Amino acid sequence: MTPFSDPSKTSKFPRLAALWESDLGYDFRQSRLVMIATVIFFLLILAALLAPWIAPMNPYDPASLDIMNSSLPPAWYQDGFAAFPFGTDDQGRDMLSATLYGLRTSIIISILGVALASVIGITLGVIAGYFGGIIDTIIMRVADVQLSFPAILVALLIDGIVHTIIPSATREDSAAAIIVLAIGASFWVQYARTIRSSTMVEKNKDYVSAARLFALPSTTIMVRHIIPNVMGPVLVILTINFGLAIITEATLSYLGVGLPPMQPSLGTLIRIGQEYLFSGQWWIVAVPSVALGVLVLTINLLGDWLRDVLNPKLR
Amino acid sequence: MTKQTKAFVEVRSLSRRFDVSKPWLNRIIEREPRKFLNAASDISFSVEKGKTFALVGESGSGKSTVARMLVGLLTPDSGSVTIDGRSITQPKGRAELRAIRSRIQMIFQDPYASLNPRWRVGRIVAEPMLALKLVEDVSQAEAETAKLLELVGLSREDMGRFPHEFSGGQRQRIAIARALAAKAEFIVCDEPTSALDVSVQAQILNLMRDLQKELSLTYVLISHNLAVVRYMADMIGVMHYGKMVEMQPPSLLFAAPKDDYTRMLIDAVPQMSAAVRRSASGTN
Amino acid sequence: MTETILSVRNLRVEFPTRRGLLVGLDDVSFDIRAGEVLGVVGESGAGKSMTGAAIMQQIAKPGRIAGGEIRLKGDRIDNLSPKAMERVRGRHIGMVFQDPLTSLNPLMTVGEHLVETIRIHTDLSREAARKRAIELLDEVGIPDPQSRMLRYPHEFSGGQRQRVVIALALCAEPALVIADEPTTALDVSIQAQIIALIRRLCDDRGTAFMLITHDMGMIAETADRVAVLYAGRVAEVGTVKDVVTQPKHPYTQGLMAAIPTLEADVDRLRQIPGSMPGLSAIPSGCAFRPRCDFRTDICSTSRPPLSGDAAHVAACHLIQKEMAI
Repeated sequence: MTPFSDPSKTSKFPRLAALWESDLGYDFRQSRLVMIATVIFFLLILAALLAPWIAPMNPYDPASLDIMNSSLPPAWYQDGFAAFPFGTDDQGRDMLSATLYGLRTSIIISILGVALASVIGITLGVIAGYFGGIIDTIIMRVADVQLSFPAILVALLIDGIVHTIIPSATREDSAAAIIVLAIGASFWVQYARTIRSSTMVEKNKDYVSAARLFALPSTTIMVRHIIPNVMGPVLVILTINFGLAIITEATLSYLGVGLPPMQPSLGTLIRIGQEYLFSGQWWIVAVPSVALGVLVLTINLLGDWLRDVLNPKLR
Repeated sequence: MTKQTKAFVEVRSLSRRFDVSKPWLNRIIEREPRKFLNAASDISFSVEKGKTFALVGESGSGKSTVARMLVGLLTPDSGSVTIDGRSITQPKGRAELRAIRSRIQMIFQDPYASLNPRWRVGRIVAEPMLALKLVEDVSQAEAETAKLLELVGLSREDMGRFPHEFSGGQRQRIAIARALAAKAEFIVCDEPTSALDVSVQAQILNLMRDLQKELSLTYVLISHNLAVVRYMADMIGVMHYGKMVEMQPPSLLFAAPKDDYTRMLIDAVPQMSAAVRRSASGTN
Repeated sequence: MTETILSVRNLRVEFPTRRGLLVGLDDVSFDIRAGEVLGVVGESGAGKSMTGAAIMQQIAKPGRIAGGEIRLKGDRIDNLSPKAMERVRGRHIGMVFQDPLTSLNPLMTVGEHLVETIRIHTDLSREAARKRAIELLDEVGIPDPQSRMLRYPHEFSGGQRQRVVIALALCAEPALVIADEPTTALDVSIQAQIIALIRRLCDDRGTAFMLITHDMGMIAETADRVAVLYAGRVAEVGTVKDVVTQPKHPYTQGLMAAIPTLEADVDRLRQIPGSMPGLSAIPSGCAFRPRCDFRTDICSTSRPPLSGDAAHVAACHLIQKEMAI
């Protein structure tokens, strides 16, 4: 009986078991805060994605609204109803449902935006790092220029361009795509820079030289050999960027440049709700704000922990 | 020296220099000319089929640069490398490039960096077969891979494992299997055992000799370790600051070195007999 | 009889990991006398660097010294507090590591570094320390020490940097210097010079030297006695001449036969089958048993003690048998 049994060979889910038993899993189990944050994070994601099915009502279906239910306070108030646990807004929309739908929109847009940013960033980063020389210089200078534009400005620019090209476009359809594009165009630089330096290290390693000896074209080498080995830091950047993307989208919506009222995200809800704050209906702005705050907080906790744990120098 | 048979590998006047000047802007401001480092100057030698040629020298001698030019990882500024009459330095077309690449391979010094850490061993060894189109399909590649792993002293179950599960010596075996998978006839070995323990080094060197006999392989061995070179080489070339200062078979080189640098190099090698010498004299 | 500077007895180093207890060093014992160079030789993972680290109390957590005694000039140093150990390190034990580039502060000139080190460990004034630094640089063979002192580490060659590191180690006139692979990163010709330097310093100053390396050739040229480590245990200890020419332990015998040499033409290098076990898989009884040509039943049940005559011992049951006959 050896004390060094291999969990990946004994359990039913070898990959998961190996992860749980690994140093990463051990660290994870040590930090209660991170474990709680991760659970809350996944719960939020799950709730958001399943919104159409678990929300008590669809707040954006005009037929389901009853103006008689407007401006009701949360359930624990004297005037509140159990059917509307967090109250309703001036149109009679249930805040819980609205927040769930808002979460859903925010999360989906952010995921798409971050995915776009990572694809652009990784591709450009690997190309810049692998080929070096003038290609590297050009890409890096473009990145520098990109960094000087805040995401909001980029969104406005893209918005303006799109509207000039398709003047009669309905705002509803293009708004989501514009924000995804804006996030993608603003956030790719971080990926590109990190991947570029990792690529420059990897390309000098002997296994890449060996691959060149097999007459493999550069693209094949980059995709099959280099990318799998430089993806490590990407996970950390992804998690942190995800939080940033959500805030960015919320800001854009709050400023009115984002999604239209019929497809609100958390930002839009906060903007709308703000107007009612001083008339005493605090719940309209509070519920989406709290949701936004908790979501971003859990993401950041998870991202920070991941970065510390994956950083070999800190150990 | 008469050449009865045309040598298998012919290296003629290989030269390469590196630009080590300061960046363009600095040079303009400080009015400095470009600076070059002559890594290799006019290196020529030939190797017969089935034999081992060793290039020795200290760091900075240029032997690694020559190794990379032999294999085609670095383009020479001038000179040529031909294998079996075909030029490596000027291949004509994609198919010819593949054909040449198949015959020449390299074993690298660092067993921890020469295998892709994310690939399984089976895929690593099979890659050249598939890339150079030496097999019909994946199943044939698998069969060949299993055979090669057994040839180098590993087992076919190792195909499913990752490099980090192996020791340094075993990784070098995998690297050798990979070179053979490309159907290489000419293998350039860049310090293949420098990163290995002594007892493992003996295993790898013996393996290399056995494979040479069995498959008629031709080696160019790069090393700074004269004792290893003595054990492995049929001919030795000594490099110093990019130039070939002496070229002789081991028996002549170690008995009567002609060049001062060679002599100094041989004298500097730690000897086991020193243990006896020193204790006999009482002092040092 | 020269004084014993370092005495290591039954040293045991353990690493409690969440998967079990790993034993890095198991019952390691040896002495080093004044003016003597002891080579600690072994392959990677044998525990030679760990021995040096244990003596200096620099074992990385969660490792710890779990048994045995280490005495420097008679006083125990393995049970000192970290603060007390700090005073011992540098003042009584000098250290030389493999990579001179990382041992020297790139932002300080060599002179500044030497003067600072001297003043930390002695009471010398700045001026006296400066003079001492120049003397040291001269002693280790740096030409024109007065002006070289003002240079930064990157302006020296690898071999010269290592000489500077040796000078730093000698700053406070320590009784013992521990060098871990001091010439592995250097060319053979430079290595020869460093070997000569070490020998000269030992003879002139009477410093005890612990030379940790995997290079038997270097041991043969530099050391007086040698301890061969295998899987965290001592396999053999003796004078360099005895161990090299008449090794008693089968591992040492295999090692000697596996080393290629310039001095004779060998038909085939002898290879030891298999490889050294990792710390988590040390066999029962004798750690070398699975690879040994001479193994018998007792080798798998009981761990062989060090036996032989006073000056040359090896951990092998065969020797005991021979002696019994």
